[in-house]
Amino acid sequence: MTRSWSRTSRVIAGTATALAVLTACGGGGDDTANKPNEPVTITFWGWAKGSKDVVDAFNASHTDIRVKFEEIPSGTAGGYAKISNAVKAGNAPDLVSIEYSSLPEFVSSGALQDIGGEFTEADRAKLLPQTVELTTLGGKTWAVPFDAAPQAFFYRKDLFAKYKVEVPTTWDAFRKAAEQVKKADAKARIATFFPDDPTTFEAMAWQAGAQWFKAENDTWKIDTTDAATTKVTAYWQGLLDAGLVHKNASFSPEWTGSLKNGTTIGYLGASWGAGVLKGTLPEQDGKWAVAPMPSWDGKPASGMLGGTSFAVTKDSKRKAAAVTFAEWMSTTEDGVKARIASGTSSAFPAAAALRPVAKKAFDASYYGGQDIYALFEASGASISPNWAWGPTTGTTNTTIKDHFGKIAQGGPGIADAVKAGHDATVAELTKRGLKVEG
Amino acid sequence: MKARTRAATILLTPFFLLFTAVMVVPIGYAVWLSLFTEKQSGLGFGGTETVFTGLDNYTAALGDRAFREGFGVLLGYCLFYIPLLLAGALGLALLLDSALARARRFFQLALFLPHAVPGIIAALIWVYLYTPQLSPVVQAMEAGGIGFDFFSPEGALPSIVNIALWEWLGYNMVIFYAALQAIDRSVLEAATVDGAGAWRIAFSVKIPLVKASLAMVGLFTVIGSLQLFTEPLILNKGTGSAVTSTWTPNMYAYTAAFDRNDYGLAAAASVLLALTAALLSFAVTRLTGRRKAGTARKERTA
Repeated sequence: MTRSWSRTSRVIAGTATALAVLTACGGGGDDTANKPNEPVTITFWGWAKGSKDVVDAFNASHTDIRVKFEEIPSGTAGGYAKISNAVKAGNAPDLVSIEYSSLPEFVSSGALQDIGGEFTEADRAKLLPQTVELTTLGGKTWAVPFDAAPQAFFYRKDLFAKYKVEVPTTWDAFRKAAEQVKKADAKARIATFFPDDPTTFEAMAWQAGAQWFKAENDTWKIDTTDAATTKVTAYWQGLLDAGLVHKNASFSPEWTGSLKNGTTIGYLGASWGAGVLKGTLPEQDGKWAVAPMPSWDGKPASGMLGGTSFAVTKDSKRKAAAVTFAEWMSTTEDGVKARIASGTSSAFPAAAALRPVAKKAFDASYYGGQDIYALFEASGASISPNWAWGPTTGTTNTTIKDHFGKIAQGGPGIADAVKAGHDATVAELTKRGLKVEG
Repeated sequence: MKARTRAATILLTPFFLLFTAVMVVPIGYAVWLSLFTEKQSGLGFGGTETVFTGLDNYTAALGDRAFREGFGVLLGYCLFYIPLLLAGALGLALLLDSALARARRFFQLALFLPHAVPGIIAALIWVYLYTPQLSPVVQAMEAGGIGFDFFSPEGALPSIVNIALWEWLGYNMVIFYAALQAIDRSVLEAATVDGAGAWRIAFSVKIPLVKASLAMVGLFTVIGSLQLFTEPLILNKGTGSAVTSTWTPNMYAYTAAFDRNDYGLAAAASVLLALTAALLSFAVTRLTGRRKAGTARKERTA
């Protein structure tokens, strides 16, 4: 008897606690309908540098629309999962940040709405055509492109000078430079292979002219065995085998640490990297410079690494307001200025007319006053227009990342990872009932 | 009798309401989800259509090598981890049981302390200690001529086992220590009188007497291992390590839902995992139940 009573009282105590927790979790989250005359309130989720400053600037200058900004983790670090879940649960924000690589996946899962009516042909004409291409899927417009992310090579000009290494313009020269760096300092490397980030590798394939995802006659053609991909794969495998680059996770303490102590003296990134380096390594002020990405034939060529667009979620009833705000961020002087002036962003606007604004707003003293925007401009123009992203980026990139992690001396290599990504992509498309070749 | 029934009803209702809301309904929803797949047409940009596909998600999960390999990893993990855990925790408990009273309390607390650190924090700290350029441990090992890459395909399992041991050794040590303390002191005295040394007492008297707790900890650890998730996820996300996104069945379900947007597959994988856990739990309760009945019988005959 006593035993059963004590158990019952334990149940009651447990229940009471659980109830308290439940009530604490409830409530909030409902949007009351907007009355006329009152400003429309929209919610915006993003993680790009300077987003908070942009929202503040918008709210300060607008009375008809109020934006509530909520910072989420970057896409692959959990941000996309959060967005998908919110859409699934029916409590998604109105506007979300999505990178070009993941946009098709969100469109195909039905998470977004067509904004072609609000974001018109004339608006789109102001933007870099490659970015418009990447946000137009199945003949509809799904997002407002914010930045293009042309590739760039960041390097420590002081150490390059010290080691007497020329800044490489071709990939052949890059390998020679990598050898020189290693010779000059056995611990130092010219750059890093990021096993956790397939997009950096994909940008290299993109630059070389690969076209992994091709849509033709309602069929997806997956091709990762083309000459360009094969060439890039063999090249990077060679660098890894010869120990000419570090192999560290991107933006990990390990990577940052090696930049800090000068054992990594270069970074193959993209336009937005200028702001990241500046923010991560303030003490190396004036020591960095930016060069165009090395290319295969010495002529300017670039893929795109990252790059953000803004999309309206499917259940949003405030599409017009959301698009207005998105366009303000992407295509107005004030919007771009607010972001860049935050000091943390070196975004390269998709809107051609706004690049002088961005250039003026970005304090390039970190790069010794180098005109980095002119460099991005040239690189942006050379972005290969052939690349498209498929609707299974999540599967493709997770698989490649898993296999990048297994790369070992004498074991599986980059080619195996690409093959695995290819197979997983084809299987996923088939499972969804889509026609696929490859 | 009637009053008692009423009281029982009133007192149990909150429990069953919550049980229904947070256990039964979500499980039912998962089973429901697992029967559907999102299908698309054309290039896939026309949105999705939810189609009833019966057990297709289950065959897809079972047919996926990555999912099956996850169970293989769990098996390897159990074979590697459980003997180390049991031997370590028991060894420490025996040491404590024979140590000085003052040192006892200190060590008990010190050894238990890691368990108070949440798994996610423990994993983050260990990732730091595993990272070649940052870790003083790796540097010391290299200086001593031992090169070991904790993130390599061979290193992944030991890395995770090490974190788990760090977290759980002290906890299980406390369980064994309590069992050892419960041993009738007169038995130990009798053994001493019979001329048994400390080793002999430990192996021939103490360990046989705590066999039941050994079995219990072992079996609970097997079932707990099925849930392996947090530590490998941290190793997967934060590093370029060989721990894949589908390393354990739990991670497979997580990746299916949140990286691949395939909620049906994720639900099916979760249900399969839950079934495995249920089967194992059933086997465990049956086994321990029989053991208890067995010992009771023995005691009666003795």
